[in-house]
Amino acid sequence: MTAETIATAQATAAASHPYNEVVPGAVLEATKTGLVVSPDRIVELARYLRDEQGYDYCSMVTSIDWPQYFEVVYYLYGAATPKDALVLRVRLTDKANPVMPSLTSVWRGADFQEREVYDLMGVRFEGHPNLRRILLWEGFEGHPLRKDYKEPYFEEESKPFKSRHPDGAHQWAEDRVPWKDNVSYPVGWDPDLWRSPEVQYRRIMGVDEATGNGDGLRTERILVNMGPQHPSTHGVFRMVIAVEGENVVGLEPEMGYLHRCHEKIGERNTYIMNIAFTDRLDYVSSMSNNLGYVLAVEKLMGLQVPERAEYIRVIMAELTRIISHLIAVGFLFNDLGAYFTPALYGMRERELILDLFEAAAGSRMMCNYMRFGGVMADLPAGWVERARNLVWNRLPKVMEDFENLLSGNEIFQSRTHGVGVLTAAEAINYSMSGPMLRASGVPYDVRRAEPYSIYDRFEFDVCSRPEGDVWARFRVRMDEIYQSLRILKQALDGLPEGPIMPPGKKQYQVRVPAGEAYARIEGPKGELGFFVVSDGKPNPYRYHVRAPTFINLTSLEKMTLGHKIADAVVILGAVDIVLGEVDR
Amino acid sequence: MFLFVVFALIALAAAVGVITSRKPVYSALFLLLNFATLAALYIMVEAQFLAAVQIIVYAGAVIVLFLFVVMLIGGGELDDIGGRNKKFLARLTWPRGIALVLGLGLLVAVGYGLLSGQLMTATNDAAAFGQGSVQAIAAVLYTDYALPFELASILLLVGMIGAVALAQPPKKD
Amino acid sequence: MDYLRNFFVNLARSWTAWIGGFLPDWGVNLVNYLVVGIILVLMPVIATLTLTWMERKVIGRIQNRIGPNRVGPWGIFQAFADAVKMLIKEDIVPSGADKPVFNLAPILIAGAAALLWAVVPFGRGMIGQNLNIGALYVVAVGSITTIAVIMAGWSSNNKFALLGAFRVVAQLLSYEIPMVLSIATVVLVTGTMRMGDIVERQVAPFIVVLPVAFITYLLAAAAETGRAPFDLLEADSEIVAGYFVEYSGLKFGWFYIAEYGNLFAIAAITTTLFLGGWRGPFVSVAPALGPFYFVIKSVAVIFVLMWIRGTWPRFRIDQMLAFAWKVLVPASLANLLWSAIVLQIGRQPEQLGPTIVQMILLLVGNVAILAVTGLLLGRAARRYAAQHGWAGA
Repeated sequence: MTAETIATAQATAAASHPYNEVVPGAVLEATKTGLVVSPDRIVELARYLRDEQGYDYCSMVTSIDWPQYFEVVYYLYGAATPKDALVLRVRLTDKANPVMPSLTSVWRGADFQEREVYDLMGVRFEGHPNLRRILLWEGFEGHPLRKDYKEPYFEEESKPFKSRHPDGAHQWAEDRVPWKDNVSYPVGWDPDLWRSPEVQYRRIMGVDEATGNGDGLRTERILVNMGPQHPSTHGVFRMVIAVEGENVVGLEPEMGYLHRCHEKIGERNTYIMNIAFTDRLDYVSSMSNNLGYVLAVEKLMGLQVPERAEYIRVIMAELTRIISHLIAVGFLFNDLGAYFTPALYGMRERELILDLFEAAAGSRMMCNYMRFGGVMADLPAGWVERARNLVWNRLPKVMEDFENLLSGNEIFQSRTHGVGVLTAAEAINYSMSGPMLRASGVPYDVRRAEPYSIYDRFEFDVCSRPEGDVWARFRVRMDEIYQSLRILKQALDGLPEGPIMPPGKKQYQVRVPAGEAYARIEGPKGELGFFVVSDGKPNPYRYHVRAPTFINLTSLEKMTLGHKIADAVVILGAVDIVLGEVDR
Repeated sequence: MFLFVVFALIALAAAVGVITSRKPVYSALFLLLNFATLAALYIMVEAQFLAAVQIIVYAGAVIVLFLFVVMLIGGGELDDIGGRNKKFLARLTWPRGIALVLGLGLLVAVGYGLLSGQLMTATNDAAAFGQGSVQAIAAVLYTDYALPFELASILLLVGMIGAVALAQPPKKD
Repeated sequence: MDYLRNFFVNLARSWTAWIGGFLPDWGVNLVNYLVVGIILVLMPVIATLTLTWMERKVIGRIQNRIGPNRVGPWGIFQAFADAVKMLIKEDIVPSGADKPVFNLAPILIAGAAALLWAVVPFGRGMIGQNLNIGALYVVAVGSITTIAVIMAGWSSNNKFALLGAFRVVAQLLSYEIPMVLSIATVVLVTGTMRMGDIVERQVAPFIVVLPVAFITYLLAAAAETGRAPFDLLEADSEIVAGYFVEYSGLKFGWFYIAEYGNLFAIAAITTTLFLGGWRGPFVSVAPALGPFYFVIKSVAVIFVLMWIRGTWPRFRIDQMLAFAWKVLVPASLANLLWSAIVLQIGRQPEQLGPTIVQMILLLVGNVAILAVTGLLLGRAARRYAAQHGWAGA
């Protein structure tokens, strides 16, 4: 079996592994793709790795459904002192009832990710404080990422599907599948009687604890639903907030309103079809998403990217970062009540950059521009001049305007200083990434820590601020725009002539050798990772996205507690979420 | 005179509404109507200053506080303590008893005042309000009634300090 | 020419004479009262129609947009299109709402907005009623708005509306005090509460004599009417629309009308109290110019408020209350005290309005108060920043 060969490749004598001397019996097997760890000892081992070995950053948690067992995968890094990846793999052979201990007590950042694994793969995490479905709703039957899951109106295992018009006439999907309309609900579930489950908010409502401010004055908590229809949740996101007066005393993020199981779709698509789908993750920065995905697949395929294509990729990724940060800053002001003016100023510059994207890729938002081994099309004539004009003349001036108009505003300063503070240790423990992490005083940037593409050739500073509040997040984003401009200047100057794709015929169907790859890039919103497992077939066996904004939301409650309702909105705005990516 | 009768009737109806409404919010709103008609009556005797103050203090502050408290403690219908079916005496709990005695006392006092003519004397001074009511009131307030005025100010100051002290967050040691 | 000089007064006279030709005296009075009443009630509606268009255009230009440009030339009929839309929308009453209160609130708030116009002097003699307590009347009518807002917030049975109502109580009660104090300063200096007389005695616009009172009044009035940066009552990015989130159709329209009616009203009262009302060059020659000056000044004030809305973020509730109690109230109290002292210096019997010397003294005091306030604010901000170790605050 392919799966077996991957897992057991280059197994060493596990008993002699150095970690086993500290936590006996923890490492069962050391493979090329990580340590296979016993579920019984993993919490101990994790604590040791965090405290003694410096693996303080739990970047990604995902799971794979192998024929014999479920495998839960933890990707660990060092954030305080950068360290290379350490992969922990837990194999749960009881396929009927996979259970393992939760690692949230070690890394709080595993919270949402373990819930996601539970939701989509059905692995139970014992000791998890709030193990509920996170992306799907309570009335959903089954766990869609399992290989035996058959969704309603199921079509076929993998793309390309057979024609929906076999004899020139349309045929309904439910007429083609043998089990017809197989919508089903959990046992004892009646969709008509479903009400919003108030019970699950007992925790934030403090029903189980006595409320009071110490004076014997009892105050009553009110549960306020911010969202899914709310102007400041940046989409269909819902914050369930318990308030005492104006003060937030409990918060529970609810997401998944935009969930389409991007990962299941990805497993049925062929590799190349998936590029277009990654555009829809963080729809503000589609170029970065493309880049992350093609990097992961290129790792598997072992492709060499031509020089010119690398430069174009960097240019596109940095332009995307500028767009994303301009929008983040503008809409942060919107949340502060500045009535769209800064947001529209940001949008105006975004239009100019989107013009460039349109000229190169043919599309403004859903660029679908990167390909395995290069980019889809070369830059048209005059493109570089336009980009140069933007980077050298226009954007620096705009940034000056932004600084003059926004940064010095007293109301803005008084609204953002000291709001939503995360210390450096907390930010690392909560697996924050991107500007969120750097604003807490951790100068961690994937472009520096683990350079991908050709980022090691460029000079730029990793922007970081010590405060850890909303102001610092705003400041870091503004500073990163300057750094992006710096990189862009170097890249535009150094852009060589040459091919944009590796030599050979254009491929409409790539052959990806069996294996597993995880590629992460510094996306505008944080560490964007793509995890691809191939079994040699035209479709990925497992495809997972480490969505930075989804994981950044883990700390939302921590940041918001004790602040006012108005601050909750601002803190959420400073996380800079895009629901296409959060809900996937 | 015609307007006076209209406003007086509205004021009376509002007063009855205050005590018969089953929802506290309605009571507060009837009280507001009552105050507003009183202000109208003040205007009719050329005491515009009193009317404005009536609206500012009672409508602007007192009723707002009433409404605020009612909103906070929930504005549902009042429970009928004794139940409607029981006899009058059985429903007469001690708070109601006290209220009944005090209310009757007030009625007796007003009746006595009317009959003995003590309340009537005020009408003779209506001219004192007159056109220069602001000046007239100010003159009286800051000369003849200076001491009560200052005492009232001190009372308000005490109230303010008390509110600030109560609202202080508990000290963390 | 003589007719034109006193255009509006003559117009009223000839109108009265005309209907006096076929109506008895009481009938003439009744018709005139009715006409004036209708004009006053229509004022907020007219203000809404023009100001919504203006606000959209102004904010559009601020935001690099054109603003409405489809309905009519320069989009001037956009407001009418909106009005028609609002009229034909379904009127929804939430099932959990307290219906009588829910229906009463828009009437009360729009009524209060209309009442405010009774004491606005558009020109010499052009005032609904030159009440001898005009300035107090403004405050009294404003306090009715508070109740209407609370009624709307409570009766909607919606948590966002209730939160909006909570904020209303804190905000409106707090900002009433600096507002009254700054009005009181003007009343003290002019020695009258009649809005008409305040203008008459304003030899120099009080904005240059009492800048502290002007700034305080403008900020407090913006807070009282829920304009940015004090629009916490309806903060759409936080509590959606606050107290009127559940209203739709015409009832929503009444809130809209009240908002813009109040906006124009506070601009008009600011003009009356601080900008010299209908005074201006050549008014003594042609009093008909007065109303035009008045409207132009009011529109300038409104433009400033719209400008603020288009550019500034919103305060947070605690910051806003602290601003009222720790900055505006002490500053306006100091101003009131200084004005009282100055007016006793060189006081002449039967004096109407301040003398030149008094005005200069007042200005000096005001500038000093402004400087001290700015200094203290800056020091407090730096101390606060130093305590928390923030750089660059």
